[in-house]
Amino acid sequence: MTELLQHLVNGVSLGAIYALIALGYTMVYGVLKLINFAHGDVFMLGAMVGWYASARWTNEARDPSIAGALAVTLLAMVVCGTVGFVIERAAYRPLRGSPRINSLITAIGVSFFLEYGGQYLFGPNPRAFGVLPHRANFIGGGISVGYVDLVTIGTSIVLMALLQRIVFHTRMGTAMRAVSWNPSVAALMGVNIDLVISFTFVLGSSLAAVAGILYASKYPSVHPLMGLMPGLKAFVAAVLGGIGNVPGAMLGGLLLGLAEQLVSGYTSSSWRDAVAFSILILILLVKPSGLLGRTDAEKV
Amino acid sequence: MAGFFGGSAVKRAWRGLRSWIPFFAAIPFLYLVEATLASQPSLEYAFQNINHIGIAIILAVSLNLVNGLTGQFSIGHAGFMAVGGYVSAVMLMRGPAQDPYRLFFVLSILAGAGAAAVAGWIVGKPSLRLRGDYLAIVTLGFGEIIRVIIENTPFFGGAIGLSPIPHRADFTWIWATAVATILIAKRLRDSSHGRAFLSVREDEVAAEAMGIDTTAYKVRAFVISAFFAGVAGALSGAFEGNLAPQSFTFVRSFEIVAMVVLGGMGSITGATIAASVLTILPEYLRALANLRMVIYSVALVVLMLVRPRGLLGTTELWDFVRRRRPRAKGKREATEALIDVRRASIRFGGLTAVSDFSLEVRPRELVALIGPNGAGKTTVFNLLTGVYPPSDGTIVIMGRDTRGLQPHAIAHLGVARTFQNIRLFRELSAFDNVRIACHHLTRESMGAAVRHGELSVVEERWIAERSEELLEIMGLSHRLEELAKNLPYGEQRRLEIARALATGPQVLLLDEPAAGTNTREKGELMQLIRSIRDRFGVAIVLIEHDMRLVMGVSERILVLDHGVTIAQGLPREIQSNPKVIEAYLGEKYAKEHFGSGAAS
Repeated sequence: MTELLQHLVNGVSLGAIYALIALGYTMVYGVLKLINFAHGDVFMLGAMVGWYASARWTNEARDPSIAGALAVTLLAMVVCGTVGFVIERAAYRPLRGSPRINSLITAIGVSFFLEYGGQYLFGPNPRAFGVLPHRANFIGGGISVGYVDLVTIGTSIVLMALLQRIVFHTRMGTAMRAVSWNPSVAALMGVNIDLVISFTFVLGSSLAAVAGILYASKYPSVHPLMGLMPGLKAFVAAVLGGIGNVPGAMLGGLLLGLAEQLVSGYTSSSWRDAVAFSILILILLVKPSGLLGRTDAEKV
Repeated sequence: MAGFFGGSAVKRAWRGLRSWIPFFAAIPFLYLVEATLASQPSLEYAFQNINHIGIAIILAVSLNLVNGLTGQFSIGHAGFMAVGGYVSAVMLMRGPAQDPYRLFFVLSILAGAGAAAVAGWIVGKPSLRLRGDYLAIVTLGFGEIIRVIIENTPFFGGAIGLSPIPHRADFTWIWATAVATILIAKRLRDSSHGRAFLSVREDEVAAEAMGIDTTAYKVRAFVISAFFAGVAGALSGAFEGNLAPQSFTFVRSFEIVAMVVLGGMGSITGATIAASVLTILPEYLRALANLRMVIYSVALVVLMLVRPRGLLGTTELWDFVRRRRPRAKGKREATEALIDVRRASIRFGGLTAVSDFSLEVRPRELVALIGPNGAGKTTVFNLLTGVYPPSDGTIVIMGRDTRGLQPHAIAHLGVARTFQNIRLFRELSAFDNVRIACHHLTRESMGAAVRHGELSVVEERWIAERSEELLEIMGLSHRLEELAKNLPYGEQRRLEIARALATGPQVLLLDEPAAGTNTREKGELMQLIRSIRDRFGVAIVLIEHDMRLVMGVSERILVLDHGVTIAQGLPREIQSNPKVIEAYLGEKYAKEHFGSGAAS
């Protein structure tokens, strides 16, 4: 029982990170119908900015302060938001309206660029990561909850509440939803599509930055290919919840994190990738629109 | 039969062999190159790259069958490559130490490729119901699962991989296989099956309406493609001497997809060139050390931005060299035909789009279906062609209940249609649009198409002649090679009719053929509809808003309003029917001009 609870806690913490990344995928897919494969690498970039900033600003020997961690996170958000903006401007916008497979290839190209660029600048080897202050684990009832896990869950709840607010209660959020339903009609109604799409990229990328820092703190290391698997998993989470659907991404992330943690906890951790994809395939075959997604029928 | 030993058997064998000349010619040449150059130590590195190119070509050309020709979105190709590679490698490592004619090697390749094809079938059968991005993710997921399974199976060497695998694949073997793959892909593409693949890519709904079983073709493309991926995997393992699961991640799949897209979707030569360029590019950039992959990725993005349709687009290198069309003869006799709809209804959620609809179409009859916008006219066509199954009632076509039949099966029964919002295969020529519709009339197997058998040659000629004739009747002879999307609007509508006729229908359903045409063209259309009926002996059901056309051409009219049949009869009767006038012009108008609801 305690073992199960332990896995649940770890699963929720991992799922919260997946959810944060998945939100970026799902929002971009919503407005552009594009799988932004580079998103996982923006997540990596967030962790990397965190590593550079903390190496410069904080003393290795001293315990990092909470204010320092906040500053580092903010910086990572700004950098990733900018990178997200530039990626959309330079690589995706010229291809808008061309076949989707082209945009996908471009996205893969951008993803490769970030990975190999990262390897060039950062070196291929993992480096230790310490942005958050060190605190002892909370132990009670046989369960040990890491400080990082608590911060992760707390941060995710705050950010998701904020995002919910933005998407459903602001003008920009309304515009985003309008574009996701029908871009050309939204444009006719006076919505500045370019602005909305740019905003979506900035928003999604800065969320990914936070996720990157949390993830790197959880498994305390950074390396240029760290975005690959979490990025893919987060995409799976977005599809699981219903791609294009904001609450769906949160739900999908959480479920995937839990499932993965349970499987690797009770069997072997080497199967966890296969399990994540099996769940995905199952959901796509049974309900392709995802748990909370909407179904579109083609008109003849 | 004299022909058994005489000329025709020889001729047939010769024709079969002749089509393989490029392959047989290539082997001695490859062998010579290998014998003279490959053994030189200075060229060892070059040949290693050349062999990698050969394997990449097999992968790209085979994936092109799915992603390019059939327009499906698979990014799990590396998984099938792994299946082929591992099955073959396990056999080779346990097989005889000496393999004089490499017969055992061939066997292992076939076993590996067969296993990959089976895997392709298992993956494709359920997931090809999905489209676009979803299919992409599922294939990616399957590819990853295959890798994880291999990684966790000690029999396959686990995470460390298999080594040493006997070195059985060399330059000659790899390149002979690459040439064969290209040839087979070209044969398939040029056949009726290839056009069926293309029609799935262009417009699935229209392809079904033309009698093509789109699901079956997607699965076929997928299985064939997986088979060749397996071949490539087997060759790769026997060339490198080792296999590791890390080399079959989705990154590998991406690279193959990039080759297909960069080459131009559906272009075999394009895929070949792109496979070569993308394999060699990182090698040439090796001098730049760590920066090379950065440059590679930038090049990928820039190429995509500069040439979004790929290097060659949908054309082939050999298209520039020669352009020859096959020709031949023949025509099908139409038998007695009938549509019999009894009290059919369809509901979408709470909305009843069509209720209690009954219609009988007799041979050579001209029936018009009219009614205000949203009356349910096109829905009736969708019911007749099996796009939607009826919620209630029965639809009998040619004496057969159509319950549970897919649109392509109904097309086979002899019902062809055009679409209100033109649904041509836009990126294909007018000629190909019509040829695709002849597909279900042919018997040629895929194997025959690849072998270039007697039947396939005769059928190709017959299809060509039939298509040319139809295009001529529709006044489109001069547009034969023009892409459908480039035709003017009126000609697109006529091309749709030609395409529908090519399926050899007994009932032709025309959905607003006059929409967007001017008065003169409408007059011509009226003539055309009559002449189609006389010439092909088909019954025609017409949806049309232009009353002059409807009244001028039809023998019987049905009027729908809000899904209900409010009137039917001769054109004369319909014109003065108060209910019809009310439906079109409103109750008030009907009362003012024709008295209170009752007029002559």
